[in-house]
Amino acid sequence: MNTTPALSMQGLRKSYGNFEALRGIDLEVQRGEIFGFLGPNGAGKTTAIRCMLDLIRPTGGTIRVLGINPQADPVAVRARVGYLPGELRLDDNLTAEGALRYFSALRGNNVDWGFVRQLAERLDLDLKRQVKNFSKGNKQKVGVIQALMHRPELLLLDEPTGGLDPLVQQEVLRLIREAQAGGATVFFSSHILSEVQEVAARVAIIRRGEIVEVADTATLINRAFRRVLVRFTRPTDGSALANVPGVTVLSQDETTVQLQVEGEINLLIKALATYDVADFDTERPSLEEIFLAYYEADRVEAR
Amino acid sequence: MLTIFRYSLARFRGQIIGWGLGIFLLGLFLLPFYETIVEQQDQFQELLENYPPAMMAFFGDLSEMATPHGYLGAEYFALMPVILGIFAVLAGSGLLVSDEEKGTLDLILAHPISRTALFAGRVLAFVAATILMFFVGWLGLVLPTLWVNFDASWGEIALPFVSLLGVILVFGTMALLLSMVLPSRGLAAMLSGILVVLSYFITSLARIDDRLGALARLSPLNYYQSGDAMLGLNGSWLVGLLAVAALFTLAAWWLFQRRDIRVAGEGGWRLALPRRRAAAT
Repeated sequence: MNTTPALSMQGLRKSYGNFEALRGIDLEVQRGEIFGFLGPNGAGKTTAIRCMLDLIRPTGGTIRVLGINPQADPVAVRARVGYLPGELRLDDNLTAEGALRYFSALRGNNVDWGFVRQLAERLDLDLKRQVKNFSKGNKQKVGVIQALMHRPELLLLDEPTGGLDPLVQQEVLRLIREAQAGGATVFFSSHILSEVQEVAARVAIIRRGEIVEVADTATLINRAFRRVLVRFTRPTDGSALANVPGVTVLSQDETTVQLQVEGEINLLIKALATYDVADFDTERPSLEEIFLAYYEADRVEAR
Repeated sequence: MLTIFRYSLARFRGQIIGWGLGIFLLGLFLLPFYETIVEQQDQFQELLENYPPAMMAFFGDLSEMATPHGYLGAEYFALMPVILGIFAVLAGSGLLVSDEEKGTLDLILAHPISRTALFAGRVLAFVAATILMFFVGWLGLVLPTLWVNFDASWGEIALPFVSLLGVILVFGTMALLLSMVLPSRGLAAMLSGILVVLSYFITSLARIDDRLGALARLSPLNYYQSGDAMLGLNGSWLVGLLAVAALFTLAAWWLFQRRDIRVAGEGGWRLALPRRRAAAT
């Protein structure tokens, strides 16, 4: 079994004049995993992916895709990768089938056409229609099919569910999971955190061209703050709980207090022992909230 | 590369039919008038003598209007470099950058195809499209010779097209090169178009003003034979034009190898000057 990482970037930098789009990215994605690449628009997600395919040349650093340097042998990388660009544009004069046959020809016609039809059926795409008559969602379906149709070892998907309706989004996520089950590695960028949370085992958060966090999705959620709702048996002033390290009082009324706890919850439980607690409810944050917390921190730093 | 060539040539289909049909009909329309010109040679010469020399300069040697090469040179081939220069400039400037600006190049280059193969496929498709267009134009000139008394063989009629091919390839590859250097396809097409027209004026005016002779030597049209090619092709001129086109192509290829592929909507006024190849290892 090949143990080299599916993707490896060390100190990857990309500048456009004075603007630094990537500021030294270090990242490793293991084979067979689904990896989420999170960040808002302009954070550097697309730039990193385009470096992996040698569409743009890094200013510095090292990059390996399936063990290959994409600058030295871009064709070898592209032969084993399926790519869905974030801003998908297709030749309007072709039918969906025409576009896919063209992409298949560019791959040396090593595409199982039965599989293409199966994908089109699952995504509810009419292959006979002209691309120019397609909605954004239908064009995106063509993009998804062309990325998957040659059963690549590595899928680089830039915002794969953009423009799709919720049902088709779910189908695309299923296809991603199936590709992984078939042995593929999936690296996909998104700013829709719920879908990343749904399929990705690990995530990286990119902010202004820098990786600020790489972790298992579950660990990231567990490690981060949690919300706690405490109900007292009688009217109580819970504001003193703000003195507990890591605890912030979000809101309170006569008998309830809503708290945010960062880190261990043990100290809060000990502090609550001195109160008459009727009920205690804790809620894990969504990936979305964690993600926003990083950007909130960024805004605070900027002030 | 073959896939890129076939697909690109198919995309030229409309232009081959459009431009080809245009010059086909022009030939079909013009050639039958040759007999009239021959019959009324004396009156025609008289008329020409009254034309200002500056105007005559743009049509070449009109004293030979009653010969096949003189007639086709003045009536058909004199303006062809400018007319088809527009095609060359539009096609050359858009050969790669048009897809880049539309955002479709990203996906094409994400497939297992090298930049060299893409570049070669596109350039060869442009050359093939030009040749096909000329073939359609040539048909428009040779078909009327079946019923018009025109003293030139079909092979001789093809020779000015060969000379024209050299010029058109220079214009097309110049536009391609400029599209690699300038920030947008529109700018590359505009600048190339200006150069085509300038070339035409300088070459034409140099016929009546010797002071422009030195400058005219830099103009590709100076080495275009027009109808005179029917008397014998100037091999060195043709090779020279093809060599310049090859040089422009090579320079454009070199730049294309080293530049970032832009995504749709990207671009600015910063010149994409050649840089050191990326530092990543």
